[in-house]
Amino acid sequence: MTTALRTLSILGAIALLGWGLLISDEISDARWLLLLGGAWILLVFGTRITLPAGLPTFNRTLIRSGMLIATVFIVISAQLVRIQVVEQDAIYYRTGVDAEGEVISNPRLVSQQLDFERGRILDRNGTVLADTVEQDGIYYRSWPVASAWPVTGYYSPMMYGSTGLEATYDGELSGDGRNSFENTFRQLLGMTPQGNNLVLSLDADLQTQAMTMLGDSRGSVVVLDVETGATVVLASNPTFDPNQLFTTGNDPEAAAYWNSLLEDPSTPLVIRANQGVYTPGSTFKTVTAAIAIEEGYAQPDSVYEDSGQLNIDGRILPEFNRPDESRDQWTLSEGIAWSLNVVFAQIGMQIGGETYWQYGPELGFGVTIPYDLPVAESQMANNRDALSDTNMVADTGFGQGQLLMSPLHLAMIASTWANDGRMMEPWLVESITDPDGQTIWTASPDTWRQPVSAETANDVQEMMVNAVENGSISGARVEGYVVGGKTGTAEIGNERSHSLFIGFIGDPEPRYAVAVVLEEGSGGLTSAVAIGRDILVATIGRYPEQLTSGPLETAYVRSQFRGDWVGKEPEIW
Amino acid sequence: MRFRPTFRATEFNLLLIPGALAVVGSLTIFLVGTGTVDWTWGDIWISLAAAAAVLLVSITFGLRGFRGDQVMFPITATLAIIGMLMIQRLHPDLVEIDEGYSTLAQRHLLYLGAGLVGMWLIVMLSGPLKVANWLRKYKYTWLLVTLALQAATFFIGTEVGGARLWINLGPIQIQPSEISKITLVIFLASYLDEKRDLIGSSWQVGRFKLPPIPYLVPMGIMWAASLMLLVILNDLGPALLFFGIFLVMLYLATGRLVYVGVGMGTFAVACWLAWTYFSRIEVRVNNWLDPFWDPYGFGYQPIQSDFALSAGGIFGTGFGQGHPTFISQVQTDYIFSAIGEELGLLGTLALIALYFLWVVRSYIIAIRADDGFVQLCVAGLATSLGIQTIIIIGGVTRLIPLTGITLPFISYGGSSLVTNFGVLALILYFSSLPRRV
Repeated sequence: MTTALRTLSILGAIALLGWGLLISDEISDARWLLLLGGAWILLVFGTRITLPAGLPTFNRTLIRSGMLIATVFIVISAQLVRIQVVEQDAIYYRTGVDAEGEVISNPRLVSQQLDFERGRILDRNGTVLADTVEQDGIYYRSWPVASAWPVTGYYSPMMYGSTGLEATYDGELSGDGRNSFENTFRQLLGMTPQGNNLVLSLDADLQTQAMTMLGDSRGSVVVLDVETGATVVLASNPTFDPNQLFTTGNDPEAAAYWNSLLEDPSTPLVIRANQGVYTPGSTFKTVTAAIAIEEGYAQPDSVYEDSGQLNIDGRILPEFNRPDESRDQWTLSEGIAWSLNVVFAQIGMQIGGETYWQYGPELGFGVTIPYDLPVAESQMANNRDALSDTNMVADTGFGQGQLLMSPLHLAMIASTWANDGRMMEPWLVESITDPDGQTIWTASPDTWRQPVSAETANDVQEMMVNAVENGSISGARVEGYVVGGKTGTAEIGNERSHSLFIGFIGDPEPRYAVAVVLEEGSGGLTSAVAIGRDILVATIGRYPEQLTSGPLETAYVRSQFRGDWVGKEPEIW
Repeated sequence: MRFRPTFRATEFNLLLIPGALAVVGSLTIFLVGTGTVDWTWGDIWISLAAAAAVLLVSITFGLRGFRGDQVMFPITATLAIIGMLMIQRLHPDLVEIDEGYSTLAQRHLLYLGAGLVGMWLIVMLSGPLKVANWLRKYKYTWLLVTLALQAATFFIGTEVGGARLWINLGPIQIQPSEISKITLVIFLASYLDEKRDLIGSSWQVGRFKLPPIPYLVPMGIMWAASLMLLVILNDLGPALLFFGIFLVMLYLATGRLVYVGVGMGTFAVACWLAWTYFSRIEVRVNNWLDPFWDPYGFGYQPIQSDFALSAGGIFGTGFGQGHPTFISQVQTDYIFSAIGEELGLLGTLALIALYFLWVVRSYIIAIRADDGFVQLCVAGLATSLGIQTIIIIGGVTRLIPLTGITLPFISYGGSSLVTNFGVLALILYFSSLPRRV
């Protein structure tokens, strides 16, 4: 009878423990302890075995004591099973908040970020833009090239996360990407995992030149290879120092720096080149011209009336840009060359809001531009209805209205006219190499959009060259090269304006396109044109041939790594 | 005196396991640190020395003709070598946190060596000096020593982390409760063995059967002293340990559960009072049930301990590959969590099994002993170590409120290591006395 009871109570204890472990994520620690206490009492009773009658007192009590200690050890084991196995994740990831609102979480989660050799970021010539150096088991990240900070972003796992390429390519840089199998193996061997390296299409020297040209001015300079979409320069000012944001713990200096960045009215954390949007101003006249030609409304030699002003539904639009005020007849090409607003207001109205809106996505407006960094969305207008207003369409025609464009997008537009109407997908990361330096992925250029025909694009291209050679943008002229361009002034009210320039350079076939944006009070159009011209000359001087020529093999390798490309023919370009 | 040299084959063979463990363990730690597979014997000389030392102890025991138990020492050596490896592994990380730890590993080795030498001397000399006899004879001296040590802690003790557990003796700090737990066991064993029948009997007062109150007076003093400990030292750990020893030995000698019941009842009341009136005890209880009540203050250590244990999982991160030093003071109270993180559930369960084996083997020695005093003494010493293990592991795993006490043979700390080797030495010596079977 007692044997049966004992067996029953041991079974009860096992059942209680099993049940407790099963539902342990639903019950508090205190309740679990109560349950454990109950199981222990059952165990104590269950192990109270019948001892021979003649046993000496000491032997009997010693056996009982030993049994008691055994039951306690069983209870401890159950507690360990709960902490280390059943509730492992819940405990490992548990967070709490103290009275001051300070959050506490498992420090292992962040220290994992400093525990491995994060991949490096290199420019196209191997200059190190982001480096990782091990010291006493901690991997310190540094960014030695100041001009590249807008591109690399910061990496601050202990405090502020990451931005820039550090954020978009975190998986590759931390080794979670392609060679994760290899890293698991390395961890088994007790070695630290390694991340892959990024090799950029960026040129650090040209980038530094561009940043130097910007100087203290707020603004950006973007240079793209027109045929491949490769980013050669992505300069943006103001920026921030990622070295001051990398910490190995809670660092008050980094916090002070971070707060100063947040409070800075010039918003240095916003990288203008890709995350800023501006009214394109007259640079948009190239778009208006392209749509008009593509839709058959006009030819470069189509003549428009411009007598100094235009009455649009009762609003008088003045014209300040005519080089000869006695002339009333101007061709479309001359309209580009001298940036005649009255001419483009008429063409805008000719095109009409509906057509503009339909061209929007084709030209990259209102859609997300695929890029290695986040890109602010450009807009043709706030909404479709806004373009039904005649004045709004007229203003859009010469680049005002509700237009907003990022500097990167402006450079893409310039490239499109220089590349037979093909808008290439822009990119920054040229290849990814594994820790041994073997290339495991190579970028391959891809046409993203073809908004207009090659003929139309060539017309616009010629008009832009004409604007430099015979028009108002003579400052962009370069001996020995073919340069095309268009300036723009973005009026932001109260007589204040940003200065813009888009252009391209060729020998004679166009090679590189540029977009320069100088925010108000930064030297105006003359400076913008000069910066654009100088960076184009520097770029083509350094790389006279096309930047990238991807061999067939690497293009094929890519299809093996990127699941979504598998099965497609590798492109030959 | 004539020795009959022998070869303690069982002990020697069993000792090969901790010996191999020492070599492999320190090799692991060394190689994880360098990230390579290149090493020389010079890199692991410490563990080679440790392995050689334990084997040498066994051989010299045999050469001197010692015929005591052959299992206790290998179990102890395994525990001590796990502790040594863990301290070696924690040492560089701790130095990074605080320069004051720069000699931690060396000091631990020194204590370990002192413990081994002390054990060897006690085992070798106890036989010829007939230690058992005078241990039994001077029982009230041991009682006085026990009480004096407690009083000394009270009057000249230093507070570490709010608990008065330490006495500063120039360059070294000793924890008197580690020593007094031995003297307490010896006193109780001697006293209870002598008065066993009297205490076990009943005292007839009129119609009532009462316990033999006069003979329980010294017991009462001890009981009161244990409770005083709780108040004076402001810590539950030693009080719980002393009270546990007291109750278990009373039960072992008399076989009367009523004493245990009464004792536990009064202790529970005392605990409740302590919880109500002492903020420190209240803090410990809060930490026990939910350390997140004060995550950056009192709850910090238990939270970090939970994180460490959960990081270990079943197999652990591997020696040298976890982050146990996120737990402050990990080398003493929380070393079990460090083992849990790096060796996983398998490691912690194995450790618990080793402690259980240690206690059970001692109990077997106690049952085989021919003498009532020796029986009680061995059982008491074994139980004290078992209770100590339960208190600290239970505290670290938040099964009970945490109390500051060391994990025997593993935690860093001189007085703990040396006295626990003293406990082992006594048990080994007692096991060599004439047996019943």
